[in-house]
Amino acid sequence: MSAKTFSNIKLGLFVLAGLAFLILLLYMIGRNRSLFGSTFEAKAHFLNVQGLVPGNNVRYAGIQVGTIDKINILDDGRIEVSFLIENKMKGYIRKNAGVHIATDGLMGNKVLEITPAAGEAPLIEAGDILENRSSVNMDEMINTLSGTNNDLAVIAAELKSTMTRINSSTALWELLNDSSLSRNISASFANLRSATARANSMVDEFGGLVANVKKGEGSLGALLTDTSLAGNLNQAVLQIRTVADEADTLAKTLSAIAGDLRQDISHGNGAVHALLKDPAIVQSLHTSLDNIQKSTQNFNEVMEGMKHSSLVRRYFRKLEKEQAKKKEAPENPSR
Amino acid sequence: MLRSQNWKQFLEETGALSRFTSRLFSQWFRPQYEISEFLRQCFVIGYKSLPLVMLTAFIMGLVLTMQIRPFLVDYGVESQLPAMVGIAIVREIGPVITALIFAGKIGSSIGAELGSMKVTEQIDAMEVSGTNPFKYLVVTRVLAATFTLPLLVMLADAVALYGTYLGVNIRSTTSFGLFWTQVFGSLSFGDVLPAFVKSFFFGFAVGIVGCYKGYHSKKGTEGVGRSANSAVVLSSILIFIIDLIAVQITDVLGLN
Repeated sequence: MSAKTFSNIKLGLFVLAGLAFLILLLYMIGRNRSLFGSTFEAKAHFLNVQGLVPGNNVRYAGIQVGTIDKINILDDGRIEVSFLIENKMKGYIRKNAGVHIATDGLMGNKVLEITPAAGEAPLIEAGDILENRSSVNMDEMINTLSGTNNDLAVIAAELKSTMTRINSSTALWELLNDSSLSRNISASFANLRSATARANSMVDEFGGLVANVKKGEGSLGALLTDTSLAGNLNQAVLQIRTVADEADTLAKTLSAIAGDLRQDISHGNGAVHALLKDPAIVQSLHTSLDNIQKSTQNFNEVMEGMKHSSLVRRYFRKLEKEQAKKKEAPENPSR
Repeated sequence: MLRSQNWKQFLEETGALSRFTSRLFSQWFRPQYEISEFLRQCFVIGYKSLPLVMLTAFIMGLVLTMQIRPFLVDYGVESQLPAMVGIAIVREIGPVITALIFAGKIGSSIGAELGSMKVTEQIDAMEVSGTNPFKYLVVTRVLAATFTLPLLVMLADAVALYGTYLGVNIRSTTSFGLFWTQVFGSLSFGDVLPAFVKSFFFGFAVGIVGCYKGYHSKKGTEGVGRSANSAVVLSSILIFIIDLIAVQITDVLGLN
């Protein structure tokens, strides 16, 4: 009905372009997911796959080599992860390679990382089970970190209270503000240094002394090093013992004498006994003392009388004058 | 529908649209295929929309990149910019923006074209002359819209990603290879296929609403304008409703 007002070429171009981009998009995604090209399957066993899902990437030493295919739980509770690896990697991956689950970046997708191990081993084959070498996972790390964080909080709180106390302490601030403190401290250190120096020289001298003593110089050296000293000492000790023996006999003799004396005194032989034991003697002594007292009184009177007699009065005056002079002299020593 | 004053009118409209759709399906597979008319419609609907769709897609890619960039810089994940914008474009921006532009251009043109044919009684004349007007006019247009929109979406994705590449390069530098790897590294089939499938439904919705509104246009010049207008409005709303349903379905299927 209507004329052909369109170009089939343009329409074809449009359709092909649209389809081409769709196919390209699907192919690129498919290639990323290892859906095209030949692959082989390998397995690994885990206790915890940490959120790994089919479709996650598999890397060998950091290179994208495949994707996770299936995740199955085994009868013993372990989890079997099957993954597809590109065939071209067959020549590089060995049977002793280990696998672990890693994270792409800090918060990214999970990836299965195959790490080569040292040592000789045959190349990998389809269906091989690779060894699980899981290391720390993110959750454990964060758990540890949170524990550390708690400790840090406690430490910070205590530090804070310590700092508050330090800040509120006036004594400490006075000490810190005291400008003379540093001078005192440096003076103390100077003293300390000289004391140490002295102690050093003292130690040196002592060392010399000890050396001398060792060499046998000086009296102490002689004392310590002289071998004849011991003999002399021995002799002295022997003599001391003889003296002690003699003193013993002396004491015995003295004791005998004392016994004789006591005998004499108690049995009335000799003057001592009379003196100590005879009451008549005491009486006569008494009277004698009375007589002596009276005689002294009389003598005093006589002397007083003599003072007033003209014959000796001059002598007494002279005596009085000398006594007065002696009293004055110490009062004015400068005169 | 939007102009419906009450529920009765709304239900009537929905019922009529449903009947129109079922009539379309019953005619779809009957012989007497209008291949050349279908291709002509593909050219008119698809190829002629290409410049408009590409321009909007390019601008969307560029603008989206520049808008998201400061936010990612704040979080220190600027390197994820291609991946993020790539996913946004392939999953949502590409299909929906393209479908909306498509509804604006094609929905109104189909509505106006069929409306004026209806008003000038060309459709009745066609029937008299022995051509099945429904098959010739409606089926070809709906099919053309249904099959060209996904292609337009794909091309729009490509152009929008190029716009993104330029947008990334405005503020920082990335090689095309790295950009390519990052975008396709983050995409999966679950991103591309639901978007591709839902764009068929978008195209179908635009085609069927435009044809329905034109086919049932009221008499007079005013009726043609009204049918063109309501075709655009209704198809735009349907695009969003289909998008809502599609996201639920992909979510249930685990493709998100």
